[in-house]
Amino acid sequence: MANIIRAASRRDVLKISALTSVGGMLGAARANAAPKSMTMMHESSFIPAYDAFFKNTMAPAYEKATGIKIVYETVSVGSLQTRVTTVAETRSGPDLSMLVFNWAFLFDEKLVDVSDLAASIGKKGGGWHDAAAEAVVVNGKWKAIPFGNIGQLMNYRMDWFNEAGVKDFPDTWDGLLEAGIKLKKAGHPFGFELGHGFGDNHGWLYPLLWSYGGRETEPDGKTIAIDSAETARAIDFCREFFQKTMFEDVLGWTDVSNNKAFLSEQISCTNNAESILYIAKRDFPEIGKVTGQAQNPKGPGGKRFHMLNPLTHGIFSHTPDVQAAKDFLSWVMDPKQAGPWYDIAVSYYAPYLHMFDDAPFWHVEPRNLPYRDSLTTSHLPGWPAPISRAQSESVAKYVVVDMFAKACAGKSTKVVIADAAAQLKQIFKPG
Amino acid sequence: MFSWLMVVPPVTFLLLLVGYPLIYGVWLSLEDRPVARAGTFVGLANFIADARDPVFWQVTINTFVYTIAATILKMVGGLGLALTMNQDFRFKNTIRAAMLLPFIVPTVLSTIAWMWILDPAFAPVNWFLRNLGLADPGPSWLGNAHLAMMSLIIVNVWRGLPFYGITLLAGLQTISPELYEAATIDGASTWDRFIYVTLPLLKPVIFIVTMFSVIFTFADFQLVYVLTRGGPANATHLFATYAFDVAMGGGQLGMGASIALAMLPPLALIIIAMSLYMKPTKS
Repeated sequence: MANIIRAASRRDVLKISALTSVGGMLGAARANAAPKSMTMMHESSFIPAYDAFFKNTMAPAYEKATGIKIVYETVSVGSLQTRVTTVAETRSGPDLSMLVFNWAFLFDEKLVDVSDLAASIGKKGGGWHDAAAEAVVVNGKWKAIPFGNIGQLMNYRMDWFNEAGVKDFPDTWDGLLEAGIKLKKAGHPFGFELGHGFGDNHGWLYPLLWSYGGRETEPDGKTIAIDSAETARAIDFCREFFQKTMFEDVLGWTDVSNNKAFLSEQISCTNNAESILYIAKRDFPEIGKVTGQAQNPKGPGGKRFHMLNPLTHGIFSHTPDVQAAKDFLSWVMDPKQAGPWYDIAVSYYAPYLHMFDDAPFWHVEPRNLPYRDSLTTSHLPGWPAPISRAQSESVAKYVVVDMFAKACAGKSTKVVIADAAAQLKQIFKPG
Repeated sequence: MFSWLMVVPPVTFLLLLVGYPLIYGVWLSLEDRPVARAGTFVGLANFIADARDPVFWQVTINTFVYTIAATILKMVGGLGLALTMNQDFRFKNTIRAAMLLPFIVPTVLSTIAWMWILDPAFAPVNWFLRNLGLADPGPSWLGNAHLAMMSLIIVNVWRGLPFYGITLLAGLQTISPELYEAATIDGASTWDRFIYVTLPLLKPVIFIVTMFSVIFTFADFQLVYVLTRGGPANATHLFATYAFDVAMGGGQLGMGASIALAMLPPLALIIIAMSLYMKPTKS
């Protein structure tokens, strides 16, 4: 018996030794495969503390916990898309990147499916807002993890509105027109971008079109629907709104123009992200005290809309260790990490997770609450159709923006709609 | 054999850095090539789509207007500048060096300065107009379609003038003073000397500098992208900016390449003309 036991033990010992050595080898192999570092690319934030927090607090914490160094690579504002394109095309460079707008769709074939991760993060975070899926789900798969929405809302001078007898921010476009007429007469015109910027123009013109019932295509994403009475009414309103409340220069504005005009007290109302209030409080405290923020007005149908402007994080498929990248994103989105990161940006990035709906940072500056509330009425350009490549082309060619801009510059409603319809027919060509 | 070896590095350099991008660009233009996806060969479909795109034709007109106007102004202004700088005056060298500043300052930086100069509220021109009671608030330099194009041309001329000025000045200094002396003895007036001595001898330099300037102006990008990004309503979009928006913003690399390649035929004609002109003649 003892011999048998001894023999068995010897066999077991051999087996165990063999398994251990194989296991050790596998372990070693896994340990070798685990990356020493990963790079996450981000566009420089309007809020410097946001980038600094990641670099100085989050990245070292992750390295301490896992041994993996996270390189936080920032690119200048406006140049991220070029960089993401280069990385996706050459299949080299950063492992993860911040993505915005509809890039999860544009780059979907070069992005890892993170549906499993989204499900677990959503479960832990009290569920996702509906807008999250609109931002990143491509062919039923989550191609990025939504982080926050950079809403485009109304920014206005509460003191000047009060002086003009407008106590509350108008709830309808017509009400805003009335207020604007009074304010322009008082020497405080409005300034809404109608030029070729990359965000502040789409940010109010698409919601204006939608709130009047207009749309580029039907929900099928193929049938052109821009030539409608609803679009015509939106254009007629926009022309009157421009003529009676603004000045010619807005036709050539880019994204910096309205911030500059608001902060130099040239205009009393514009459509922008929270950055105006943030900068005003930091650099122009007197203006900061009297700057209000409100949701976009409602159209004749009683509905209001906003532009969905998602900031998400995607993993490039060329990353050598997909699981390591997923683990890192999971860690980032854990409320223990994500919460303080949202905090530092004081709600500039409105979270897509319900658990943050009433987070303390919303109450640090209650004037930011409309940015939270706008999420339920926010959509990507092209809505109610799903995002598509043709839609991206339409945005890049400024079809909707220029339709409104040309009407404001003096062209007839009929002509500008015909121009837009012709362009859209070519862009959304069948096949 | 040695001579062939010496030729290999520049030829390789040209093939890699000029030949490859050009051929790849041509190939892209023949594909339906969405960003980050494989392309499918579509022949000339992108060019046909461009031809049917009203914005493409607006961009074509814009590019020609911008190039022709800016080049003529730079040529005339540059010649005037060179003639002035060719005179003897105090602080000649300092002023000649200062003249180069617009050309030396990075375009993006100087264009941001122009953005402020052209701002309706801060523009010095509008400030004068307002204070003289001539206009209030003053013209919208970048908001009005015609003024926006004019403003871009002015900024381009400001930036490009030193290139013309310095190159023509170099040309002027090669003209022998004896020719002017001989012409003066023959009774030629200042105007005659300019028409019959300066211009004919300066012609080759004017021709070459104009060709280079046309190429740079035709393919201009930075200035437009910083000031207007092609607005208002495409009034200042040029081939380069439109191609960039469609390729990068819209993710349609094939179509973007086809728009950029539309620059090639007119530019190729200019280069051919230039090389024919530069061909050494036996006389």
